[in-house]
Amino acid sequence: MPKITYVTAEGVEYPVDVGDQQSLMEGAILNDVPGIIGLCGGICSCATCHCYIGPEWAARLSTPSEGELAMLGRAFDRRPESRLGCQVVVTDAIGGMVVHLPAHQSTGDN
Amino acid sequence: MVHFDPYDHATHDDPYPIYRELREQAPLYYAEPYKLWVLSRYADCSRGARDFKSFASRFGISVDEAKEQLPAVLTVDPPDHTRMRRLMSAMFTPDAVRPLESSVRELALQLIGPHLESGRIDIITDFAARLPMAIICRLLGFPREDEDMLRGWTDLVVARDEGVTEMPQAAIDATLSLFAYFEQHMAEREHRPVQNDLIARLMQAEKEGVLSHAEVLGNTYVLSIAGNETTTKLIGNFTYQLHKNPAERDLLLADPSLAASAIEETLRYDGPTQLMARTVDRDVEYHGRTLRPGERVLLVFMSANRDDRHFADPDTYSVRRNPHDHLGFGGGLHSCLGAALARLEGRVALEEVLRLMPDFEVEETGLERMHSPAVRGYTHVPVRFTPPTAGRLS
Repeated sequence: MPKITYVTAEGVEYPVDVGDQQSLMEGAILNDVPGIIGLCGGICSCATCHCYIGPEWAARLSTPSEGELAMLGRAFDRRPESRLGCQVVVTDAIGGMVVHLPAHQSTGDN
Repeated sequence: MVHFDPYDHATHDDPYPIYRELREQAPLYYAEPYKLWVLSRYADCSRGARDFKSFASRFGISVDEAKEQLPAVLTVDPPDHTRMRRLMSAMFTPDAVRPLESSVRELALQLIGPHLESGRIDIITDFAARLPMAIICRLLGFPREDEDMLRGWTDLVVARDEGVTEMPQAAIDATLSLFAYFEQHMAEREHRPVQNDLIARLMQAEKEGVLSHAEVLGNTYVLSIAGNETTTKLIGNFTYQLHKNPAERDLLLADPSLAASAIEETLRYDGPTQLMARTVDRDVEYHGRTLRPGERVLLVFMSANRDDRHFADPDTYSVRRNPHDHLGFGGGLHSCLGAALARLEGRVALEEVLRLMPDFEVEETGLERMHSPAVRGYTHVPVRFTPPTAGRLS
């Protein structure tokens, strides 16, 4: 299983094994990583699995869809490296990736 | 002393004052006759919906005593849930359902059109009960000529008389009819070119060993039911709210771009899915009490949506509010898979109702409510309106 390291806004690292073909949102939720809410359950409809992926890893991912970019408009502290975790599928090709989490998600309780 | 009975018909007429009492007086309430814990505050329902490790779905999610049922995405837990949902979630994003918008609008016009000259329509039976089933049938890939028959069965599956807490025989028979139909339909597909739809995707997953045959049937069943009733009720509920809140309707008439916001507000204020059940799977504490494995819990999402700890002025219906964190679709991994489709259908229905019959009035004496412990909405919403001139039909 690919290893993904989630880093909270406070700098706490959560290295976890994420199942192949799971999303970054699921990888966080299933492994009790704090800071990801995933209110809509992964249908690109809420922007509460907002995360940051650096350019060195982003180059290995498919580019975000129009719908994901539109939904990111709702995200708190959006940056150029912003992604929705539910739209990023984890594969062996991105094993070792580091994902940074924002200080807050835009809705719901953190 | 607060008293809450999810089966009580008088409660269905207006559950919101009782929900308020629950939130204020008994945020962890025990419904003794049903052996159910009841959570009603936003913070608790939001936490409970997302805490799938403490609150399991695999023992059933309805208030009714769980029956033997086929495995489906609604009633399994991770990792099975993750495996099933992944197959379908890409087909239910806003981008994926957007191409259906023209079909939804066309169908809305087809259904409403014949009633325009008379200036009267039953929003439920003539329109809202037909629209979602037709769309989900197209998404799944069932033939159009079977839509009425399938809707008849799915309606029977969910109907309950007062005091009945177990699945009635008519519902069991309808369930068996649906499964027989699915089996036959899928067998016929084996001899035809592969279609590009949800059934084809589930059948392919079975061939690849990702889903069992029982899981294909179970998920087809759930998609057929879930795509039907709740969206119907959503359309009826916004119709009623816009009748009761004419100033809100005027806002929408002046600015139709508020339609999506009005749907979100309807889902918050009076959404069809009132509550869902879970079963405690590990010790978890709420309001000073430890809930134990095997105990059952109700998450009253519509009470959470009226919690003034989370929403300002929660008992006011405001089409400009555009709430994004309501629990009208639940929340977390089990959040409604079809939410984007429901939003699309609801918005188009609202746009067309207001465009074609902007001055509609509900004939309140003709309102009839469905009685279900979990789903709130009408079975009849008769309205009258000024018949439009020809120009508005295009």
